[in-house]
Amino acid sequence: MFRTLRAFAWMRWRVLMNSIERTGTRDTLERLSIAVEQIGPLIALGLMLPSAGLLALLGGYTGYLLPGAERVLPFNAIRILLALATGFCVLGPILLPTMERTSAVRLLLLPIPQRVLYIAQASGALSDPWLLLAVPVLLGIPVGLALHGALAGAAIAVLAGLALLITLVGLSALTAFALHLLVRDRRRGELVTLLVVIILPAIGLLPSLLMTSKTRAERRAERVARAERVARGDETRLERAARVGARAYTVLPSELAARATKSTADGDARGALMPLAGLAVTGLAFHGVAFVAFGRLLAAPGSSSRRQSATATSTRRAWIPGLSRAEAAVAHAQLRLALRTPRGRSMLISPLIVFAMFAALAVRQHEVELARLSLSGGLMLTAFSCAICLLSILPFALNQFAVDRAGLTLTLLSPISDRDLLIGKAVGNGLIAAMPAALCVMIAYAVFHDGPLALWINIVPGFVSTYAASAPAAAALSAVFPRSVNLNSIGRGSNAHGLAGFIGMIVMLAAGFPAAALTLVFTRIVGSPLLALVFVTVWCAIALIGSRLLFTVVAGIFERRRENLGLVVRK
Amino acid sequence: MDLAVETHGLTRTFGTLRAVDGIDLAVPAGSFFGFLGPNGAGKSTTIKCLTGLLRPSSGTMRILGLDPMTDPVAVKRRIGVVPEDLALFDRLTALETLTFVADVHGLDESVARERANDLLDLMDLKAAGATLVTDFSHGMRKKLSLAAALLPAPRLLFLDEPFEGIDAVASRQIKELLHSFVERGGTIFLTSHILEIVERLSTHIGVIANGRLVAQGPIEELRTGAAGAHSLEELFIKLVGGDTRAPVALDWI
Repeated sequence: MFRTLRAFAWMRWRVLMNSIERTGTRDTLERLSIAVEQIGPLIALGLMLPSAGLLALLGGYTGYLLPGAERVLPFNAIRILLALATGFCVLGPILLPTMERTSAVRLLLLPIPQRVLYIAQASGALSDPWLLLAVPVLLGIPVGLALHGALAGAAIAVLAGLALLITLVGLSALTAFALHLLVRDRRRGELVTLLVVIILPAIGLLPSLLMTSKTRAERRAERVARAERVARGDETRLERAARVGARAYTVLPSELAARATKSTADGDARGALMPLAGLAVTGLAFHGVAFVAFGRLLAAPGSSSRRQSATATSTRRAWIPGLSRAEAAVAHAQLRLALRTPRGRSMLISPLIVFAMFAALAVRQHEVELARLSLSGGLMLTAFSCAICLLSILPFALNQFAVDRAGLTLTLLSPISDRDLLIGKAVGNGLIAAMPAALCVMIAYAVFHDGPLALWINIVPGFVSTYAASAPAAAALSAVFPRSVNLNSIGRGSNAHGLAGFIGMIVMLAAGFPAAALTLVFTRIVGSPLLALVFVTVWCAIALIGSRLLFTVVAGIFERRRENLGLVVRK
Repeated sequence: MDLAVETHGLTRTFGTLRAVDGIDLAVPAGSFFGFLGPNGAGKSTTIKCLTGLLRPSSGTMRILGLDPMTDPVAVKRRIGVVPEDLALFDRLTALETLTFVADVHGLDESVARERANDLLDLMDLKAAGATLVTDFSHGMRKKLSLAAALLPAPRLLFLDEPFEGIDAVASRQIKELLHSFVERGGTIFLTSHILEIVERLSTHIGVIANGRLVAQGPIEELRTGAAGAHSLEELFIKLVGGDTRAPVALDWI
């Protein structure tokens, strides 16, 4: 068994090293592109070492302070860190695209018992950064306790730490295997991915949305009133949910380990028994279920997906006013890619969810504050939503060629000029952004119906000018920094190249500045929304003409990078 | 003699590797040209250069009398390609893929519909017309890629391993189709590892080894030229130097 585990550890190490050392680059620009992509992980790796050292010190210091102390601030910090690690054990396998450790088909061919295979696969979780960083903390605490003279406490803390690690490995394995079972069916997998893609940003937005501008005294009074309501048994549904959530927090594996450590540090070894037993049972349960899930994966590793049919059953020519057939065909293909991939669908749906959340709050509170941006009224909310629509397409727009994968080869083999291809792609991306934006505008106008009509109309040229001014840059960045992506994955696996994403975001914001500035000047200073509409429309025309001209320049860049693009998509 | 494909000193390097090393190809128009070579010999790289996916490091090319470097769109209007990676959009259906090809080639809607139906029928893909390519098996993808290459009725077809992964029934139909394509004046440039297929279909062959063209010409001429070569396999092994390698004996097997 040891040899098997060693072989797996070596294999994972070589895969990591080969991904850094052997990039298969073919020219300087691609080398730069890959180097930039790897800077982030390398910096993270570099930061891990001092972080681990600091965490070990924190653990040791906490362990030293712990015996007999009523309230140890660093201990609370450690509890939060371990709770976060527990959370990442669930989120990590969902978000990270590198869940190769569950590639069951490959494993089936190995002459290794299922039990050993499970251990080899599950132990891969120990290389996850959140678990790697938990180890020094869990080691530091017993060392601190031992230095303080609480040797029994140190021994129990070692046990608690070990049990916690094993439990978290089980939790991580369970999530990964369950997820693989779930996504084995491509369509079900896509649905899950889409839900995660949509739900995660929404959860991220919640704190900002729920943040109120109440004073500390007001918040304290609210807390007191809430406590009284709880005492009377008169709490609201939200408060009850919060109370249940707080109780659930206490049975987290990290909390069980913390409680065991604290009890034993205080000399109450018996008090440590219950949480330790709870931790052991939890760990066993996680590993038991994960083992069953792993067994099911091995028993039927193939995809269970049925063939999916699209609605198209006849050859209907692509048509978009103002575009040639070839350009329209490219635009249609781009649009279909967005409609038929989880990442693409998320670009269409996420802005609508953000809009709906803000709209609901705007209706309730009449004013929403997000990062000091006061969104009063439907007009501002709609402008904000349109900006979100434009920003949400960046993963596609900034990697518009590589997202096609093998389809790009078909396009490159087709009798279509580079300029036509670029324009088709730009229109396709524009349509992807425009669809949710149009819905936002229509719904907001129907619901709020405030402000001058000229400003509502002004949103259209503002939106078009922003997109038109940024589209050539997006095409150029896509050609220079292509990235092979999987649009079924979420997070980094389907993102555009990091540098392209950064520059593209700045370009998009800069492209929106003229329209925003003109609108503000003519409404706030001159006081004429109509003039704002006129000038933004003029700017829109200039942006469209300029964009057309710029595409000729970008076509030159694309021509020089088309070979590299073809090679990247075949990786 | 009219040449469908003509290259002079065609070279393509990747860093220090000369994947294609100064080859002079002459593929007669109306021929069925089998392009053979061991793994890594440079076959796919040559096709990629000829079809414009890769830019040659040096040398000249003419495809159907046109220079693909200076007039790539005109060349692409006249050729059909089944490349190594099959070149299909994962998230289009079979029918949408063919519609896309028809659109970029500017075919009339009625012509496109008729041809798409014929091709899907021939490839036994009619029932899968509305299925996403991502749900296709490898063989189905290959057939669709071939259908996409044939749809605009090109004068020259580049086929990179077209029979790999295709069932016997479809394979036979495709062979017949390719035969009739050549009989009507079309030219086929085909690479395949299945020498029996090349022997049965090709009128001409070219053999590449280590990036260099070691032989080309009518298949019968080459066979009679190589002393004692009774089959294409024998000829091929002689040309690529496979007969000089000592047989390997793995005693531990």
